[in-house]
Amino acid sequence: MSMPTSKSERYARWMVPLGIVIFALVAIYFTTTFKKMPPILKRGIQPSDFPQLICGFIIFLTALMVWLDPIKLQERADKSTFGTFLALFIFCLLVQIDLFIALGAFAAGLSILWGERRWHLIALVGLAMPTIIFFLFDLVFRIRFPRGLLTNWWYG
Amino acid sequence: MADMEAFVAGFTALGDISLLMLLVCATLGGVVIGALPGLNATTGAALLLPFTLTMEPVAAISVLTAIYCSATFAGAITAILINTPGTSASATTCLDGYPMAVRGEAGRALGLAVISSTVGGVFSVAVLMLSAPILARAAYNFAPPEYFALTLFGLSMLVSVGGGSPIRNLIAGAFGILLATVGTDLLTSVKRFTFDVTELRDGIGFVPVMIGVFGISELLAQASKLNERREQITMKAIKLPSREDYKRVWKTILRSSGIGTFIGILPAEGATVASMIGYNEAKRWSKTPEEFGKGAPEGIAGSEAANNSATGGAMVPTLALGIPGSPTAAVILAGLLVHGLRPGPTMFTEQAHFAFAIFWSMLFVNLLFLVIGLYGARVFARVTLIPIPVLWPSVFMFSVVGAYALDQSMFDVWVALISGVVGYFMRMYGFSVVPLAIGLILGGMLEQRLGQSMVMLDEKWWLMLTRPLSLLFFILTALALFGPTVWRLLKRAKGLERKAD
Repeated sequence: MSMPTSKSERYARWMVPLGIVIFALVAIYFTTTFKKMPPILKRGIQPSDFPQLICGFIIFLTALMVWLDPIKLQERADKSTFGTFLALFIFCLLVQIDLFIALGAFAAGLSILWGERRWHLIALVGLAMPTIIFFLFDLVFRIRFPRGLLTNWWYG
Repeated sequence: MADMEAFVAGFTALGDISLLMLLVCATLGGVVIGALPGLNATTGAALLLPFTLTMEPVAAISVLTAIYCSATFAGAITAILINTPGTSASATTCLDGYPMAVRGEAGRALGLAVISSTVGGVFSVAVLMLSAPILARAAYNFAPPEYFALTLFGLSMLVSVGGGSPIRNLIAGAFGILLATVGTDLLTSVKRFTFDVTELRDGIGFVPVMIGVFGISELLAQASKLNERREQITMKAIKLPSREDYKRVWKTILRSSGIGTFIGILPAEGATVASMIGYNEAKRWSKTPEEFGKGAPEGIAGSEAANNSATGGAMVPTLALGIPGSPTAAVILAGLLVHGLRPGPTMFTEQAHFAFAIFWSMLFVNLLFLVIGLYGARVFARVTLIPIPVLWPSVFMFSVVGAYALDQSMFDVWVALISGVVGYFMRMYGFSVVPLAIGLILGGMLEQRLGQSMVMLDEKWWLMLTRPLSLLFFILTALALFGPTVWRLLKRAKGLERKAD
């Protein structure tokens, strides 16, 4: 077993497997709440059997992973990554107002966050692209989008 | 006779001008997708899957396969011109393509890549046309235990897909299978993990999860790669290989085409593994292996013929058995299921015209990118210079709208977003997202076939081991899972023995 180099790697080495095991245990708990079928209707296996088998397999493999193949960080999150997550969170809030306002704001915001300073390109991703996508899906694919500030105005 | 009729009927389907135009557009789109670093055939097919829902099944699946073939080919453009493989399958093309481009032979390198890709692609489609119906016929008499064992074997091949380690791949695959159990159990109608959410009753859709894990998680991963610089090598014109080049590489092209097709046929093994083996074999058989890595034409030919021939190979188990031959084939399999088609032996009896129409369209696309590659590579190379802050926000918009368009449900958008975040953290900790997607697709089949087998065998699961074909698949599964480890241990023991001597 190689020794972890950084604090975050040491943390990940134990916390990730622990998280997976807790997830599998919670899933097993939920499987115990599934309806049991009487033997005559069982059709081979109970509805809870297969998920339990898979959860058990996940726990077994996670234990093997801790022993044979400990976690190593493959990608490190930097300022831009945290900013992107924040933008994604804001997108989720703005969706409540209107999907296309959220898409435009997210795209323009992300473009600026990732270093784009040319206004025509920011306008392209923030305004032109959502407009094109909306009309493409609305008029060509006949998709009706969820009601919101802009779509209410368009659909009437 | 019926096969011949389907063979001809499939060809005549290509007489439809609108289908041909669609294929040309899909091929151009696929080349753009493959040329863009970060986007690959799997992500492209996953993002475009919702667009195909309004199409006829032949057109929809032809578009997806066109994207698969052309994006796999186009990875070579960026590999040669900017030393960045457009797709992971072209990583080995960089090794000799870029050095060749640096010494002023970019056109020759691209010419070699185009010819090798076309030969590899056409060869694999020919194998697909011949072998898929035979394989399907062989599988026609499979009972549920054989299907269960086969699906398990398909899943066991997950140990070597993506970039993750075998154990982590299996964990990711098992997580995908667990996700497939969400919803109403098909055998008993019992609701599982639905938490009284109406949308979860039908289970978690393949498409939003794929859009999330391949598209949105890649966007999050791109955030930490903003400082990577890409400089394009100038190229006057693309050149067809000279007679000398052909003499030098024809054996490599044929060998790699065979290797790639065979690797593609193996469940879950895709173009990336094929290109690595194709490249290594080209080096091993070369009279001048010392030139590899410095711009050897055989290096480009070995890698490109192998990765393109894997596309046709991967479609063999996908269509004949319903087991995806590669990550992109998994997306195509999801497309088949979404369109209500049943991949497997019945595809070559009840839907033989459909299957052959797909084969012919793949052949057409492989010949088409000979033209596109030779005349359009210079233009497509410019696509690689689209600024990342413009490209990825646009990809995000298509991801969200695509996820929504499937069932016109915001629930799918949330599934895609959550899958994207989960996929990002998986990548961060070294788990590949490919096994998760394949596990989600095959999980339902695996459980259903296990249940049917248990009913058939009167709940005595061990009787599956008494059936020769099931036993064969179980042995293959065990070999796929434990073979490499046992082999390594044996080699180590031999090494120690030799040391002791």
